Order: sequence, then structure tokens, then C-alpha cells
Amino acid sequence: MNLDFSQIVPYVPFILEGIWATLKFVSVSIVFGLILGIVLALCKITKKPFIKWLADAYTSIFRGTPLILQLWIIYFAVPQLTGYDIEIFLSAVLAFGLNSAAYVSEIIRAGILAVDKGQTEAAEALGVPYKPMMINIILPQALKNILPALMNEFITLTKESALVATIGYMDIMRRAQIVGADIYRNFEPLLLAGVIYWVMIFILTRLGSAVERRMRQSD
Amino acid sequence: MISTQDITKKFGDNTVLKNITATIGQGEVVAVIGPSGSGKSTFLRCLNLLEQPSSGKVWFQDQEITNSKINKMEIRKNIGMVFQHFHLFPHMTVLENVTYAPIKVKKLKREQANEVGKELLAKVGLTDKEASYPNRLSGGQKQRVAIARALAMDPDVMLFDEPTSALDPEMVKEVLDVMKDLTQTGMTMVVVTHEMNFAREVADRIMFLDDGKLMEEGEPESFFMKPKTERAKDFLDKVL
Repeated sequence: MNLDFSQIVPYVPFILEGIWATLKFVSVSIVFGLILGIVLALCKITKKPFIKWLADAYTSIFRGTPLILQLWIIYFAVPQLTGYDIEIFLSAVLAFGLNSAAYVSEIIRAGILAVDKGQTEAAEALGVPYKPMMINIILPQALKNILPALMNEFITLTKESALVATIGYMDIMRRAQIVGADIYRNFEPLLLAGVIYWVMIFILTRLGSAVERRMRQSD
Repeated sequence: MISTQDITKKFGDNTVLKNITATIGQGEVVAVIGPSGSGKSTFLRCLNLLEQPSSGKVWFQDQEITNSKINKMEIRKNIGMVFQHFHLFPHMTVLENVTYAPIKVKKLKREQANEVGKELLAKVGLTDKEASYPNRLSGGQKQRVAIARALAMDPDVMLFDEPTSALDPEMVKEVLDVMKDLTQTGMTMVVVTHEMNFAREVADRIMFLDDGKLMEEGEPESFFMKPKTERAKDFLDKVL
């Protein structure tokens, strides 16, 4: 056993700064993915074949290829094509948001389909138009049922976020890597990074349970 | 008020409604009865276009609503509907259920909608339940909320789709009583029902459907005492 934590002590603040970097891009990605996922889910349940096909094709592509590949294409390959030098943060959010939307759309689609058809009929019979019906009546009920599945997706996204280290985004993972290279010791900084990720997921899980409890108020 | 002209409804190869022509007058209470699978509910659902007839026309207040240019939502504002399985919004309180459509669709102010909502809940005897969620209510209470919810839009006609069929027997009366009260206000009502006594006592007219066809219609007394068709006789023998 050759563990020595004293050496990384000066680097701890440096690694901790990564929490903010990770949180910032993960939360933007989650919101982006959720909104796009809802739109895609609505496209999937329309009766218009072309729109449906588009949404299905989107899901097929983003679920059918590795996330790291999508990230690299956006960061390394797209500039070659367009000449636009994309920022690290923007490419990370794009890759994770677009990818997450594919998964979220499937979860939400299932959630919407699981809401009793009578709810739609009751709203229609009252003359409620499509948009408020979806926003006020169908989606709240769907979200309540799929919250555990959504939480799972958010947790996965948070952990997978470590992939952005590969394009040089200064998140927890990348900082741990840098410290490791600096002090020629990898175990300690990686262990610290692992603990930070675990605590973040733990808090996220608790938040999810709290939201779930609130939504079950009407039960 | 509402009339249908030769409406037919097909689901695939299955023809559920066959050339039904009927008129429901202002203030009239019409009971639609018949064996299950006879197309009663489908007929009712064609009246507010929850089902689009395969052919034929539906008229509501001198407008042909089966015309594709008509905004269905505009029409439905004026046609209240009560379902067999209530379909209350489970994530809203009783009062929110009643006030949601007036606020969203009729753009009423919340205070105003609450006032109307509370008044209606008082009418159906559920003042003490306004803050409860639907799953805290009994079936009869749920259906009374559903009636209040439909009435909150101040509709010109109310459609009832077997409103008591999903209820425990001891709760049927409270719902029928509310409906009876409603007939006193002059509301135009179309009621699909298996409650023969209610139909006989409350309806101005009976429509008897069988196998998708309007077999017979008439005043309750004559229909129940001297049905004209064999099918109606048969049916009444079985249910009375």
C-alpha cells in the first residue's frame, strides 16, 4: 500500500472548482434535453407520419451511436466542416443535451401514452385546446409516473458528463487527471473525484425523491 | 338544439351506427336506451364530435358542426359531457377541477371562477370537499363533481354517458337526484342510461337503439307500456 493523501491537499480546491464546472454544464444539458425531449415525444405521438418519422430517426441516430463519438464530432469535426470554432462548453451542452433528448423523449412518450385516454376526452369535451391540455392536464400526470425513470436518466447524464474531460473541459474528471499528471500519483485524485461524483448523485437522488413526494400529494 | 341527419359510424368493418336521424329540442330531456353494443354511447359521442361520424351531418344551434371548417373546441364549450368513468383530473383539487376550464377556456378571472365553482359544488352537495383530491371521494361524489365541472362552462346542453353505470348501487340515487334537479332548470339533456325508472320518470322522450339503428322513439309512458317494435318489447321484458 502506497497511499499518500498529503500530497494532493494543496490541489483539493483546484479539483473542487470542477464541481461548479460540471454542475453548470450538466444542469444546462438536462434542461435542454428535457425540453427537446418533450417536443420530440409530442412529435412521436402525432398522427402526422412525416413528423413522427423525423422524431424516430432522430432517436435512432442519437441512441444508436456512442456519446463520446457525438461529442467528438461536435467539438472536433464540425469546425472542420463549417469553419466555426465551437466553444468547449457549447459543444458539451449540445452533445449531452441532444443525446439526452433522445432517451428522455422515449421515457416521456411512454408516460403520455400511459395517461388514461379519458383525460384527453374530458379535456376535449370541455373545449380545452391541445396546448393547455398537454401542459396542464396530460404532462403533469405523465411526469409524475415517469419521474423515477427520468431521475435515472439525469443520474446517468451526470456521471457520463465525465466524458467531456476528453475534449478538455475543466470538469472534476479533467482536473483530477491534471493533478494526477502533476504529482505522478493517480489513485488519490481519482478517488477524490469518485467521492465527489458519488456525493453529487446522492444529493440528486434525494432531490428526486423530494419532488416525487410532492407530486404524490394528490394520491 | 341538436339534430343528426343520417349519421353512420364505422370502426373498420364494424358499423356501429346506421343512418340515425334525430332531433333534440331546446329544454328537452331525452333518454337513450338499448342493449349494450347498440351504439348508444357512440351516438352520444357523435353529438360533441368526440367521434367523427363516418357519414351524415350533425347540427348544433343551426350550425353544421360536422363541417370540417368548424372549430370543434368552440362548439364543445357549449356542450357539457359527463362520462361513465368520471375522468376527473386526478392532480387537481375538486374546486380546481371545476374551475380549470372556465379559467383556461372562457378566460374567467380566478376569483370569479371560484365563486361560480363553489356555487355549483354547493348545488351538487359537495361544499365540504372543494379542497380534496378526487381519489379521496366516493364514486357518487366523483360523478357529482364531474357534473359540476361540466356545468361550470355554462353549457346549452348536457350529454350524459351512462353516468351511473360505474357506481356502487347505493350511490346511484345521489347522482340521479342531481340530474333530476338539473332537469328542473330547463337544461337540455341527452342521457344514455340503463336506469329505466329514471328514464321513465324524468325523460320527455325515449330513444331506443338496437344494433346501431334508431328502432323506436316516443314518450316514456307509451314506450314503456306499449312498445311498437318486437326488439323494444324483447328488451323491456329483459330489463324490467
